[in-house]
Amino acid sequence: MDSTTQVFTILIILIGVVLTTLITQFTRRKKTPYALRNIPAYAVIPGMIGAAIEANRPVHLSFGSAGIGNENTLLALASAELMFNVIERAAISPNPPIITMSDAAAIPLAQDTLRKAYQSRDMLDRYRASSVRWYPSGPRSLVLAAALTGMMADDDVQANVLSGSFGAEVALIGSQAGRRNQSLIVTSDQLDGQAVALAMSDEPLIGEEIFVAGAYFNDRRALLAAAVTQDVLRWLLIITIIILVILNVADEEVGDILDVFLGG
Amino acid sequence: MRIRPGAALTSAVAIGFGVITLAGLLVSDDVSVISDLLLQLVVVTIAITVLIGLLNLLTVHLGRIFKTQGGWVYSLVMLISAGLVIVLTILERTDVIEPDVGERAPSAILLESVQVSIESALGGLVFFALVYGAARLMRRRVTWWGILFTAVLMIVLIGALPVSGLSRLLDVRDWLLEVPVSAGSRGILLGIALGTVVTGARVLIGQDRSYRE
Repeated sequence: MDSTTQVFTILIILIGVVLTTLITQFTRRKKTPYALRNIPAYAVIPGMIGAAIEANRPVHLSFGSAGIGNENTLLALASAELMFNVIERAAISPNPPIITMSDAAAIPLAQDTLRKAYQSRDMLDRYRASSVRWYPSGPRSLVLAAALTGMMADDDVQANVLSGSFGAEVALIGSQAGRRNQSLIVTSDQLDGQAVALAMSDEPLIGEEIFVAGAYFNDRRALLAAAVTQDVLRWLLIITIIILVILNVADEEVGDILDVFLGG
Repeated sequence: MRIRPGAALTSAVAIGFGVITLAGLLVSDDVSVISDLLLQLVVVTIAITVLIGLLNLLTVHLGRIFKTQGGWVYSLVMLISAGLVIVLTILERTDVIEPDVGERAPSAILLESVQVSIESALGGLVFFALVYGAARLMRRRVTWWGILFTAVLMIVLIGALPVSGLSRLLDVRDWLLEVPVSAGSRGILLGIALGTVVTGARVLIGQDRSYRE
């Protein structure tokens, strides 16, 4: 890692930590909570869960190839937050939610999320570790997609919330959901997976929106603070890019900094 | 506020390890010795999770077979295949089965002739699934964004055809891929990076649910 990238990385992490700490304290003290922008996918998920409970059919959640200990660890944690909220609502169903993944390191995270969700509803006796299913395959494997299409039919799933790392193979899962009239929400950190997700999801969930799931499902101030911090950081980034672009027009050296910033 | 000892301990471990690893990667070579050790521990832990995965595989699929749930035959085939491959690999590693010089190991032949060919066939199906996805997008709800998505998809696909007389379309396709698609991709990646920074910061200050409760 060269020194410029090192400085930028330290700076970004510091800004992230300081802003998160400050905004969390500020949000906790604020009497009226911040209004969050509408994300259609989070608005339809409670309805999807309700339909699954009424139909006595399970909800399927998947991490894809996201897991702990690799480059998408934080994505796996953010996905676990979304899954916690979905399972907490679906816990009253006699048909337990199914969590799938292809990275074995996501198994403990998924089981912990499942257990905590049942525990939060005082229904720990309904917790079944076997609701978490591992389908061993590589990071962009079609095997997981093939296995999930079979599972979606065999278990007669009502709704699918796929949040993690998926490639273009998620199209197979999407087409299976479409054929079986199952609801589908997909988001991925891989660009090709995200593009397919946009076409196939009932409602789109794009990019950073997965990282604020907690704030949309409960009114805990710390989770709300994370959403606000992300918005503040986004605006800081937009302003920085605009300033750098303007400066770049006047001075070519600034272009190098812009390249570091935008990865180009 | 009530602090649970278990949650406090896991938070302290997560924060401590996180800070040391970060410092080792970014700041000093002295700290990087410790952070390298921690990363090695992570590798060992991940290796153990594969064993957890195998146990999970057995539990889930044996459960399906004993309860004769839908698709139990597939579970049976899967368990038999997994068992055979594990036995085959053990026999290879213990030199009970030794391929002749210049020949590939049976497990490699299995991988290439079964898994690779099945995955290739599935790869072909992805194309049809993608076309179905585009059609579904327009059938579900016709919006301006949906029309734009489908139009761009058509231009990119038709522009990729090796047909003469499509040079203008090829220029449009190249421009689309170089400017709006590239900008959009970077926007999405920057968004994911922002989310990652905030989630990482929450983990570092002990606010994540995994450590909190």
